[in-house]
Amino acid sequence: MESLHKRRSLLKALVLSYPLVSGALLLSPAQARQRKLPLAVLDDGEAADLESVIEALVPGSAEAGAVHFIDYQLARPAADSLLMLRYLGVEQPHLNFYRAGLEALAQHSVRRFGKRPSALPAAELDTLITDLIADDTPGWSGPPASFLYFVWRSDGVDVTYGTEDGMASLNTPYMAHIKPEQVW
Amino acid sequence: MVTAADKVDLLVVGSGAAGSVFAAEASAAGKRVLLLEAGPARTPDDLVSSQLWARRQKWGGAHVEEEGNHRVGHNFNAGWGTGGSTMHHYGVWPRLHENDFRTSTEFGQGMDWPFQYAELRPFYDRIQGAVGLSGDATEERWRPPGEAYPMPPVPVFGQGRLLAAGFARLGLHTAPLPLAINSVPYRGRPACLYDGWCDAGCPIGALGNAQTVFLNSALASGATVQNDSTVTRLLTRRDGRRIEGVEYRTGDGELHRQYADVVVLAAFTVQNARLLLASANDRHPQGLANSSGLVGRYLMTHPTVSLYGMFDEETQPGFGPTGGQLLNQDGYDNKLAVKDAYGSFQWIIANAVKPNGLLGIANNRADIYGAQLRPFLQRAVNHLGVMTLVAEDVPLPENRVELSSKRDAFGVPLARAVHNLDKAGAALVAHALEQGAAVLTAAGAREQWRGPQAGMHILGGTVMGSDPATSVTNSYGQSHDIENLFIAGPGLFPGSGAVNPTFTIHALALRAVEQLLRDWPSHGTQ
Ligand SMILES: Cc1cc2nc3c(=O)[nH]c(=O)nc-3n(C[C@H](O)[C@H](O)[C@H](O)COP(=O)(O)OP(=O)(O)OC[C@H]3O[C@@H](n4cnc5c(N)ncnc54)[C@H](O)[C@@H]3O)c2cc1C
Ligand code: SF4
Repeated sequence: MESLHKRRSLLKALVLSYPLVSGALLLSPAQARQRKLPLAVLDDGEAADLESVIEALVPGSAEAGAVHFIDYQLARPAADSLLMLRYLGVEQPHLNFYRAGLEALAQHSVRRFGKRPSALPAAELDTLITDLIADDTPGWSGPPASFLYFVWRSDGVDVTYGTEDGMASLNTPYMAHIKPEQVW
Repeated sequence: MVTAADKVDLLVVGSGAAGSVFAAEASAAGKRVLLLEAGPARTPDDLVSSQLWARRQKWGGAHVEEEGNHRVGHNFNAGWGTGGSTMHHYGVWPRLHENDFRTSTEFGQGMDWPFQYAELRPFYDRIQGAVGLSGDATEERWRPPGEAYPMPPVPVFGQGRLLAAGFARLGLHTAPLPLAINSVPYRGRPACLYDGWCDAGCPIGALGNAQTVFLNSALASGATVQNDSTVTRLLTRRDGRRIEGVEYRTGDGELHRQYADVVVLAAFTVQNARLLLASANDRHPQGLANSSGLVGRYLMTHPTVSLYGMFDEETQPGFGPTGGQLLNQDGYDNKLAVKDAYGSFQWIIANAVKPNGLLGIANNRADIYGAQLRPFLQRAVNHLGVMTLVAEDVPLPENRVELSSKRDAFGVPLARAVHNLDKAGAALVAHALEQGAAVLTAAGAREQWRGPQAGMHILGGTVMGSDPATSVTNSYGQSHDIENLFIAGPGLFPGSGAVNPTFTIHALALRAVEQLLRDWPSHGTQ
């Protein structure tokens, strides 16, 4: 078993490629967020709501760059996407799913609390999440609320715990055969 | 523009489990073989160890619509690219049991296969030798006759030992899981390192998949795999009695034609049925190979549920093959043992799990979020135990693949997969889950819970049989209607059994291609 632990690799976290005039800049989603790199497909309101909800579901995922990761995947050709949603039989383009979900979420939040999710204090955000889990969302129009909860939570887990750094934070060895350090 | 390439002897649609066996044997026999593969080229270097990167290997073709109370889960179950679904498959390779081949005769349920286990046994044995299986045939007290495995079993880690003790306390048995994974170096391929990355693909070649075995030999004897080539239509001769070839689209959208003496449709269950239906023409108005009206019918999936337990002891859940370490098939052979239920089931015990991913640790407790999530994960990565139910599905004609009114980017109607689980199947799952809960308790789990019920593997839709009125192909997968059209893969299965299908897919394909080579239908001309 010792040798397996020793094989633990020093992989970088998720790496995104942002095209710049001078070529590609390789950044992790966390770095992309830190540098406030522009998003490709989500608008500012959508991004802020998504980040609030995912952070509430998976603490640490905002800093890990969950929104930059999702945005980048939504902008790539469907067959290259690394989002879990592609397992779940949702028709492409998946941007439609995320966008419709975020719109339904914002409407529900405004109806319930008079504010968008990004403006909610922690306690109200938690109530919003409880509504999603229970599909207790009267007048909701969009992908099922509990399904969105599952998908967004899973996205947050991907970025926060699905990397060598994330697994190291759980004290569990990564043991890669091939390290995921290519451009995402 | 339509371009037409030189005629080949054998054209295989799809480069996965079934297609690779056809290609290997036919090219070794000197046939000119071309595999058209819709997905991208893949090499071992693409098999990055990551639950995120693993997703690139999932289905990337046309959307599949799904309906029913127990959907087949196409996009989870279907692969894409060189090697097909085998590239991320887990290598769990049990054999079907003898009575799986005669469920109608023995239990008055489903359909008998057109041959019995004894007919397939030598092909199982030969495939086992070629791929290399690890396990312990003697410990598998329920295993039908067959040669011993060429390799010893994989080691058992903490969770396997605890769960095995739980089975034993209830008077149940466990045996090493038969795996297409090397426990020792085998035929130039290294032994497994037990790091649990099989879902992302095994780049070292310890796991037997299309690329490590049959596709490799096909390429070595001159077969060609052409990627980014999606077959959109099968073409018949004007009189409708022979296949001339196929139409396909390359990634740039260009339309091409490829002619062949023999076409093997090995594009996995749903796409096989879709292509046959979508290739309807004047001579075959309800689709090719469909004089029985049964193309698409008898769609099946194995109902599956994973059970989880949290233990005080260290369980090492990240170690070992993703597919698991141990097997239980007690009671498999009496399909009528449970009141109001029908079918067999098995437990695959001690799957390796990673924190993220659809089947990962976090998602199996989807109710935990916020501040509780990290402590749960920290505990689970050391103390979780997992066992997975695989149950039988009865072939029902109303479970089907049909064409949607929507079309894909190439103008081909989408597939719609409709699948419901009947009452007897639901009762079987309920019974098995009770047993599983008792095992976890007996094993000493502090806490236990279930994952969602889903479909594992996709079978049926082009079932084989002896009677052209009640089946789509003969026992070799050769269309009853069109002599030089073969269908391959789990779509041929007239019954699902309750075991993972890929060993059987290989055995069937080997039996079929040998028959094809013996009796090559080459007399037709265009
Ligand atoms: C996560 C996972 C784990 C699994 N684990 C196991 C296991 O442990 N044991 C087991 O027995 N089975 C397992 N399976 C199932 C196994 O992978 C399949 O049963 C098997 O690969 C099916 O073989 P096939 O040849 O029919 O199809 P595939 O191997 O899927 O190959 C079909 C190929 O056809 C291509 N194709 C589709 N449409 C077209 C078209 N129109 N034109 C050209 N090409 C096309 C696809 O891209 C694909 O590459 C697993 C599957 C998955 C997804
Ligand atoms: S656990 Fe074994 S078979 Fe699976 S990826 Fe690792 S080395 Fe390969």
